[in-house]
Amino acid sequence: MIARLANPRVLLGLALFLVGIVLAFHAWRGPTDAMLVPRVVLTLWCGVALAITLVELSHATAMSSRSLSPLPVLMAAVLIAAIAVASLGFLLPSLPLVALTLWLFRLRRPLPLAVGTLVIAGGLWFLFHHVLLIRLPTLLTSGAV
Amino acid sequence: MDIILAAVGNAFTWQALLAIVVGTWTGIIIGGLPGLGSVVGLTIFLPFTFGMDTITSMALLIGVYCGSVYGGSITAILINTPGTPQSAATTFDGYPMTQQGRVDEALGWATFASFFGGVLSCVILILCAPQLAKFAVNFGSIEVFALICLAMMCIVGVSKGSVMKGLICGMIGFFLAMVGSDPITGGDRFTFGSYTLSSGFTLIPVVVGAFALSEVFVRFSSRNDPGATIPEAKLRFPGPGECFKRLIELIRGSFIGSFVGALPGTGAAAAAFMSYATAQKLSPRRDRLGQGEPDGLIASESSNNAVTGSSFIPTLALGIPGDVVTAMMMGAMVIHGITPGVRLMVDQAETVYSLFVVLIIVNVAMLILSKPSISLFRYLFRLHQGYVMAAIIMFSFIGAATVRGNPLDLVVAAVTGIFAYALRRADYPLAPLVIGMVLGPELESSLRRGLLIERGEFLGFFTHSTISMTLFSLLVLVIVWAVWSAIAQRRRSSVNTRHVETDAAK
Amino acid sequence: MKPVRRSLILLMLAGTSHSAFAQDTLDIIVPFAAGGATDIVARSFEPPFSDNLGVTSVVRNVAGASATEGTAEVANSEGNPNIIGYEPAGALSIQPSLKQLPYGPDSFTYICRTTSNPMFLMVSQSSDIENFDQLVAASQEEPLLYGSSGPGTLPQLAVAALVGESDLEASHIPYSGSGPAMNALAGDEIQIMADTETILANYDLRPLAVFADHRIEGYEDVPTIDELGLPEMEFAVWQGLVAPKGISQERKTQYSDACKATLESDRFKSFAENAKAGIAYLGPEDFEAFVKQRYDANKQVLRDVGLIE
Repeated sequence: MIARLANPRVLLGLALFLVGIVLAFHAWRGPTDAMLVPRVVLTLWCGVALAITLVELSHATAMSSRSLSPLPVLMAAVLIAAIAVASLGFLLPSLPLVALTLWLFRLRRPLPLAVGTLVIAGGLWFLFHHVLLIRLPTLLTSGAV
Repeated sequence: MDIILAAVGNAFTWQALLAIVVGTWTGIIIGGLPGLGSVVGLTIFLPFTFGMDTITSMALLIGVYCGSVYGGSITAILINTPGTPQSAATTFDGYPMTQQGRVDEALGWATFASFFGGVLSCVILILCAPQLAKFAVNFGSIEVFALICLAMMCIVGVSKGSVMKGLICGMIGFFLAMVGSDPITGGDRFTFGSYTLSSGFTLIPVVVGAFALSEVFVRFSSRNDPGATIPEAKLRFPGPGECFKRLIELIRGSFIGSFVGALPGTGAAAAAFMSYATAQKLSPRRDRLGQGEPDGLIASESSNNAVTGSSFIPTLALGIPGDVVTAMMMGAMVIHGITPGVRLMVDQAETVYSLFVVLIIVNVAMLILSKPSISLFRYLFRLHQGYVMAAIIMFSFIGAATVRGNPLDLVVAAVTGIFAYALRRADYPLAPLVIGMVLGPELESSLRRGLLIERGEFLGFFTHSTISMTLFSLLVLVIVWAVWSAIAQRRRSSVNTRHVETDAAK
Repeated sequence: MKPVRRSLILLMLAGTSHSAFAQDTLDIIVPFAAGGATDIVARSFEPPFSDNLGVTSVVRNVAGASATEGTAEVANSEGNPNIIGYEPAGALSIQPSLKQLPYGPDSFTYICRTTSNPMFLMVSQSSDIENFDQLVAASQEEPLLYGSSGPGTLPQLAVAALVGESDLEASHIPYSGSGPAMNALAGDEIQIMADTETILANYDLRPLAVFADHRIEGYEDVPTIDELGLPEMEFAVWQGLVAPKGISQERKTQYSDACKATLESDRFKSFAENAKAGIAYLGPEDFEAFVKQRYDANKQVLRDVGLIE
């Protein structure tokens, strides 16, 4: 049973159910008029999520052994860069993110890596921020970077 | 007659034609880049229009608008990532066709359907804008509520495999749209006391995360698989015989798009889903829909491009912008001294007719420019997959950051991307997420307004007007049909398994 | 690949010459999405304004949360001399009373008021109501509905205040903007709307009264609210420039001089005429006093109609 529970599909269903419970609880405590539709939607959510969890549980097999993949590294890098943009501006977090992405996708010769990083991160930033004047988040108050 | 000749003359100046070519082409490219959609495209070009004359600036903006709606289909077909939310429904059949090695055919149908939808909606706009506008005005909150309930039914249709998983994704999208100010009382909902959350979530960052970023992750985990490379983009237009065979589909998609576009507050993404859901019920090849059937592509692309023409109906006939894009266009008119409003078609007939001519030329230009644009994407996608994926991440970031200038939207996109990857791995369909987010707010606010109008009596909705009665009856019919066909299918499949069992017993 | 790479390099070179690396750029925050009514005025205001100021400037749209998102960004940039907000009335004078916001009326250096348009009480041209008394009579028979461009906006406040002070029986239906509200008015879902002259003329509506202390030029036969025997009410849709706190006195003077010169420029005047935006300049001190007075007045209305405690 425990082994079955550890299946990622079951866990996802369970997580959705728990989030639904918290949100539905919040909705039922809120004001009637504003929370009318959220109550209906979130109560339904809880029901459907529970059903999904049960179905997944009945189909679940014990976890197969997984090979280690650097995917979480890429995900973490995207998330960290996204968070950093708010305080560091657009350019600075983009450069390492693009370099890391290229590296992880096996572009490891120095020249393509450097040029790719400069063009994709630096070039696009320059194009939008300075040429098209579509302002991206900045580090300095003068708006240059 | 003179006015029409003058209008054609206005539209065929070299400035206007240049603006159309530049606008349409960049529009296609911008639409094709995931994250950048119609609004970003128009924001880029809006400042340039200040120095131009009215027709030229309109030509530029209309070109960008129509081009971007079409361009979204290119990446939807090639890499399963809709370039704009409007093309989300194009992935259902477009990407399976690509996987089957029918890229050229898929791009050909998408291009032709876009052109067909665009032109047909122009014709409708020219012939019956005032009548349609008058009819659309009858769609008050309660009628819109009924229509959106009907449209929501398409969640069932587009969730292949598991309707429950589709439903929950729809509800996640709906919930995301609820965060922030309540549309009726203005009070904060689900912000848990945080000011940053009180501005809520917008569509673009979520779409960018759910489709573009999660696609990067999916491709990353299969990067060693030689079959996972991006196929060569080619274009092959369908022959006249094939077009004739699917003429009904083309016309139906264009009509749905034209009609939805004329209603305020819906837009191209909703139209594409509605049209796809209708095709699932009415197409003669509906059994193959979702497995790479051109009818699905036609349903989506003809309707979303038909919205481009008909969204001008409320704008021109009543001065009421149908969506963000036409609102922007109205702003550009004001700058050039044209006041949009009920008298626009009378006072500014020449400008309005020029606009019609421009719309038609833009659609023709789109057809001609589709080939060079697709070649450009072919060159781009020939690069090492790493460059393409890094660029997709960057465009997603730029799109999320510019949609309303809030850096927090980047975090929303990143989190959605990671979450959507998990959902995809567990076979949850993601399109309902977009449907929930697009249609949810309109469903809720029309319901709440309807309740205010009917003084809290929900039963009053059913007898409010002929239109609402018709729509609700249709809704009941659709539900009965869906349940009936589900039961029939289950019975059929259980009969089949019994056959297999008896076969095995023999 | 070569041509693509080459054109990218060319594009970058073109950009270098055009952009302002050496000199600071002024960000003009517009708290609405590009292309909206306020954005259009701001974008027409920007070129002469930056010419007068002698800097390069960029309009930046920071939309969301009833325009408070962008306004908060200005308020949070304390001491930054390169950011300024083109603000609507609601974000400065209504929203701070309605919600917990990171700013209040004291969080800004006020520069100038640019435009102001009085609001009219109006009904559809197709209705047979010709004046305010008939409106009240009709509402007594069957309560009417009035629309607005959203909860806590000026169109709601104006009619809500009127309902509070007169015998008018009407309840509020909020829409997601003026456009959808106009659609509802055209479809007779709502009967009453309060908005500016722009809306009145564009949609061919019938004005019944004006929320101002005097009759408006061009609408001489439209009575003011106090002529109807009600207490005086003033509601106008206005816009103005605000800068963050902590900028130098010199910068403040530069801004307000540039603002004044812009409003007097022919370029902006001709735009304002087309867009029916009434230029109504107020200097820094007057504008600050005006915003605070409106803030208190609106707060009182919100309290009277029960939107806040």
